[in-house]
Amino acid sequence: MPEPLLQVDNVTVRFGGLVAVNDFSLSVERGTIHALIGPNGAGKSTTFNCISRFYQPSSGRVRFDGEDITRLPASAMAARGIARSFQNLELFNELTVLENILIGAHVHCGGTLRDWLQAKPPAVMRHIDGVLERTGLASYRDQKARNLDFGHQKLLELARALAIRPRLLLLDEPAAGLRNREIAALDELLTRLVRHDGLTVLIVEHVMQLVMSISDRVTVLNFGTKIAEGTPQEVRDHPAVIEAYLGKEAAAQDPHHA
Amino acid sequence: MDFELILLFLQQGIASGLVVGSVYALLALAIVIIFKTSEVPNFAQGEMLMAAGYVALYLLVFRMVPAWAAIPMTVVVAFAAAALFRRVVLTQVARASGSPVNLVIATLGLSYVLKGLVRQTGFGDTPRSFPSLVSTESVMIGQASVTKLDLTILGTAVVVMAAFFWMFGYTKLGRAMRAVGMNPKAAQLVGVDLNRIHVIVWGLSGAISAVAALLIAPKLLMTADMGSVVTLGFAAAIIGGFASLPGAIVGGFIIGIVENLVGLFVSSRAIVVAPFLAIMLVLILRPQGLFGGRVMIKKV
Amino acid sequence: MRILGLLAALAALIALPFFTTGYIIYVANLLLTFTVLCLGMHIVIGEAGQFSLAQAAFYGIGIYTSGLAGNAFGWPFPLSILAAGLVAGLVGLGIGMIALRMRDIYLALATFAFGEAMQWVFLNWTSVTGGPNGLRIAPAGLFGFEIVTDKQAYPVVLALTVLMIGLTVVISRSRLGRAFRAVRESEIAALAMGVPVRTTKLAAFALSAFFAGVAGAMFAIFSTFIHPDSLGFQTTILVLTMAVVGGLGSIAGAVGGAVVFGLISELLRQAPSYQEIIYGLILIVFMMFAPRGLFAFAGENLRRLTRA
Repeated sequence: MPEPLLQVDNVTVRFGGLVAVNDFSLSVERGTIHALIGPNGAGKSTTFNCISRFYQPSSGRVRFDGEDITRLPASAMAARGIARSFQNLELFNELTVLENILIGAHVHCGGTLRDWLQAKPPAVMRHIDGVLERTGLASYRDQKARNLDFGHQKLLELARALAIRPRLLLLDEPAAGLRNREIAALDELLTRLVRHDGLTVLIVEHVMQLVMSISDRVTVLNFGTKIAEGTPQEVRDHPAVIEAYLGKEAAAQDPHHA
Repeated sequence: MDFELILLFLQQGIASGLVVGSVYALLALAIVIIFKTSEVPNFAQGEMLMAAGYVALYLLVFRMVPAWAAIPMTVVVAFAAAALFRRVVLTQVARASGSPVNLVIATLGLSYVLKGLVRQTGFGDTPRSFPSLVSTESVMIGQASVTKLDLTILGTAVVVMAAFFWMFGYTKLGRAMRAVGMNPKAAQLVGVDLNRIHVIVWGLSGAISAVAALLIAPKLLMTADMGSVVTLGFAAAIIGGFASLPGAIVGGFIIGIVENLVGLFVSSRAIVVAPFLAIMLVLILRPQGLFGGRVMIKKV
Repeated sequence: MRILGLLAALAALIALPFFTTGYIIYVANLLLTFTVLCLGMHIVIGEAGQFSLAQAAFYGIGIYTSGLAGNAFGWPFPLSILAAGLVAGLVGLGIGMIALRMRDIYLALATFAFGEAMQWVFLNWTSVTGGPNGLRIAPAGLFGFEIVTDKQAYPVVLALTVLMIGLTVVISRSRLGRAFRAVRESEIAALAMGVPVRTTKLAAFALSAFFAGVAGAMFAIFSTFIHPDSLGFQTTILVLTMAVVGGLGSIAGAVGGAVVFGLISELLRQAPSYQEIIYGLILIVFMMFAPRGLFAFAGENLRRLTRA
């Protein structure tokens, strides 16, 4: 069996005296959707930022497709096929939808002088047109990012990540603030990306309906420590998870728990 | 250079440095309270000081207003003018565009308007000297020579600083200012009127600059360019850690002492460029200054 | 349609010396120099979002470099121009290093401090710059032919300006221009997209300093004297005002702002205190009501046209 696409080994993150993430390990298998959930402040985003190299782990290791990426800078991720979205939307607000996505394709635009001068290589443009179609943003091509409504802005964030042509897609709360209709569309899009195109996805999410629907595996964090891991059903019924979200009494009263 | 001379220079440098440093500290304080609450470095701070100085000069020398009236009048005018600028101009700038860069450019505009106005009124044409309201008789502290005026300057500055910190730490207004400085949105949620606080902060900054002007004016030659002393204020604020109030005070004293020591030990030409070098060095090597704490990692 | 307009303007500019006085050509030379300075500011602040307040320092480096290359070494002016741009660009690269660690406001302060420190150097390095006495600039020469009058300098100055505008357009439409804008809008997202943020920032500084250096060389071609008093924060603010008035975010804005505001400043040169008040008021009024500048609108349309 091939090794996991993403392997996180015993990562600990300390901020001064505070331990945000404690000896955390995670494996994401190729072609699967893996969800990372937990109550607020559990350390999900911190872990996420370590994997995408925006934070530095105090100890531990992150491996992607066999390569140790623990010390690499954040800007080295795109070239390796790791794309991410941001919890608080980091769009290029004054730029158009097309420009946003074009920058996503930056690593595919080539490095010769001729490449630098040519604004829109045809091969890249074809791929981008595809991304625009896929995400339903084609008609918003020339709109400034800040003029889009929230739902479309989140789609743009995703589209921009897809322009990287990633093998691993890291999504930080992509469903936050979306309406049910939009969540359903996101569900469909992600499922298609993974089942048809073989993408691998690691998703941090609070919206449980999405997590339960699309995830192959779920890992639960609380106070920086992994407290459960398994299929969505296994995790949902796990007493430690119920306790983390709802408190001790709820866990004791849970009818599912024998 | 023999040891005797070094000791003398040190004492003189520190003594004179503390005096002028207290004024820089006030100026740095004025800069930092604005920066802490609105993330804007006020490039017009020096011109605010200069204009206040000229207002006082006008009242005292041309209108023969007695000092006990002229001084409060100057401070009140400075407070009002600064508050008005914030209320009329900056509120609109903030509304027109969210970027703090635009606010900075607006303060640059203010600095030019103030300078031009002072030159226009004819006062700024020739250098003028500000009357000293306290005797300039000298007093010896150890081997250092300072004047009674110097001691008054230092004393007054310290009193004003103390009053300010009392207000900041123990009054409702001070609490509101601190809240806005830490987290404007949260402050708004608990009922703080952001605009009102900004206006008051600007007014206070103007008032403090006016006090600084009144204190330093007798020691300088007054010209329309005298606002350039603001660079020292900025250097002090940066050294102290741009968002730290106690840092501004300490930074001011440090700058004052270093300025005097450089003048004594190196040359008077070097004094001009020293603050610029200090600003660059601190921002490059330790941008958070002395009191800035850890550099914050942006939450991603 | 707009291309025709640009060509017509160019034709008019080329024809200018044939039916106007020397003074008008002098003003034209000055405005063209301001244009190149403004383009430099457009690149570093407008495109890349790095709030650099050191333009006058690089301008001064350009003037002294090309002035000295001509005075002391008798270099032909094309070489002096190149040297001026390169030396200024290198210093800009060095200063850009400090931008790597600083956000907007702190960067503004640090570059402001650098600019002032540089002016002090210009004033005190008497052996090279002539110090407080200023520097006499020998006429620019090329294989024996000397440029002595404004009308003689004009074609060179105009050609350089057109060249630099063209360069700015090429950069803006290129992958580098996109990288600049990405860094301006969100450094974090730019990193995640694989944009080399540090290198991009350095490139912005180096380029804008190069432009300022070339502008300095242009000044040296039509001027005979330079004094450090003209190379301080006041000049940087002048260029900033031009860029703001025209619109920081567009090339048309840089050009338009330089011309419009350059004219205003030249007209006001007789009354320095009025000049200060008007500069200040313009900055304030624009920040209050037209933060994108006069020509931002035109710039957007131009970009839509040139974007195939």
